[in-house]
Order: sequence, then C-alpha cells, then structure tokens
Amino acid sequence: MSYKCSRCKRDVELDEYGGVRCPYCGHRVLLKERSRDVKEVSVH
Amino acid sequence: MAPAYDVEFVEREERKARFLVRGVTPAFANGIRRAMVADVPTMAIDEVRFIENSSVMFDEQIALRMGLIPLTTPPEGEFVEGDTVTLAIDVEGPGTAYSGDFVSSDELVKPADLNVPIIDLKDGQRLEAEADAAMDRGKSHARHQGGVAVGYRHLQRVEVVGDRDQFEDEEPHIVRGVIEDDGELVPTSEFDHDLTVRYPGKEVRIEDVPNAFVFHVETDGSFSVEELVTRAIDSLEQRARELEDAVQL
Repeated sequence: MSYKCSRCKRDVELDEYGGVRCPYCGHRVLLKERSRDVKEVSVH
Repeated sequence: MAPAYDVEFVEREERKARFLVRGVTPAFANGIRRAMVADVPTMAIDEVRFIENSSVMFDEQIALRMGLIPLTTPPEGEFVEGDTVTLAIDVEGPGTAYSGDFVSSDELVKPADLNVPIIDLKDGQRLEAEADAAMDRGKSHARHQGGVAVGYRHLQRVEVVGDRDQFEDEEPHIVRGVIEDDGELVPTSEFDHDLTVRYPGKEVRIEDVPNAFVFHVETDGSFSVEELVTRAIDSLEQRARELEDAVQL
C-alpha cells in the first residue's frame, strides 16, 4: 500500500508490522494515494 | 396524395432558426417537435477512462460534465447508432481544462464549442482521460439531444377593426411570436412585442391562423438547423413506415 506522509509529504510504504507511522519523520497521519489504475466511469 | 406544405423562413442562422409551416395539424407539428428533441441521434461522450485526476472534483462529476459537451455529429450514413469515437484530454494546472483541449480520433466528431469549461486546475493538478463518444437518441439521455429550445406557436393574424375610443387608456397589448399582417410576416420583437406600438390608437383583433405554426428551433451545435429538422422528419417517416409494415396483413 502506498501512502504519503501529511507532514513531510514523502511517499511511505507500509507493511503489516511497522504500524501506522512515517519512517522518516515519525508522523502518524498518512494519506492514501490514488491508485494508478485506469478508472472507467460511465456517464449517467 | 400528401397535402401541400408551405414553409417560409422568418429567421435563419446556423444554429438557430424560426420558420413558418402551413398546412399541418397540431398533432403533426408536435410530432416534429418531439422528434427533434428526442429522436435524432447525436454523438456524446458516454464512457470515460481516467488515467489521472488530481483535481478537486470526483471522476464521476467530471465524466458527467464531459458527457454534456455537445459534439459535432457526422453526416448521415457515416456512423450508425452504437459506433464510438475516442477523444483524449491531458491538461495540467494551473489553468482550466476546456472542451477545446479534447483531441479526437475522428475529424468528424469533435467538440462543437471549444470554450466549455470542464474543471479549473490548480498548481500541480492534472487531468488525463480518454473518453468514448457514442451515437444515441435524446430519449435515452439529455446529452444526446441535438435540438434544444425547440418549440412552436400558432401564427397570429392581426386585423385593424377600427379606431380606439378616444378616452380609453392606452394599455400595452403584448403578443409574442410572429404575426401576419396583410400576408406579411412580422416577428413581434420588431415592435417590442406590443401591438399598441405598431398600431397606435387602433382597435385590433387577433386570431390564430388555423394549421399554421411558427417553429423556433435551436441546436446544440451538433449539426445545423436544416440538418436537425430533416433528420427529425426522416425519423418520423421511418417510424410511420415501420408501423405501416407492422399492421399489414
């Protein structure tokens, strides 16, 4: 899962052991990045 | 034998026209109107693939805005219902993404207006998407309506019946549409829609001319007014033929 730290704005990769914490600055608020998948939307 | 129609243009522009049709019944006039609104196939975006959208609006909202952009519809016979054309857009902020930023894969299908704003992008925001435009009819979705603001009114005949009473108050007499005065067609906008401006101090009588309708037609830019009207009538004719074939024993 790719996240972005809300304080230092760096990309963060989380694993299941590390907990929710930025490894660079220790900030606990991470923002989820939009997936790179192409999203198909039909117009309604 | 088909009855004789008489068509006379009062106003004629590329996307807007006003014309008089004589010799049609109210039901037929309304049939033409409904065909223009709901039964002429036009191109419109109906599927969008978002590669990147870091703008402040959701993909779905942007897709809806893209769907409502009028696209030029190719001449009859070039496309059939269900055919698609791909349009691509890639805009980076700061700036506004306009309909004119779409790059079409087919020269015949492109935005009719180039200045329809899609989304305002701030610094670092980007919109990249691919859209599929398909041909469909107005009755399936408003985005496929070629005719917008389509309507008709009875032609009104104005006759001067005498002088107005000397002490009567001069009150505005508002009429909208087109009037017929001694066989001459006059749009009411010429005299500010007020009959007392055109006939000062006169007593007038107004009556609807039977079976004469003044159509006011505007298109969204998909095609010209002539194209819209003839395609609407073709669709009406085709449906009448289908009915005829269906009821034949």
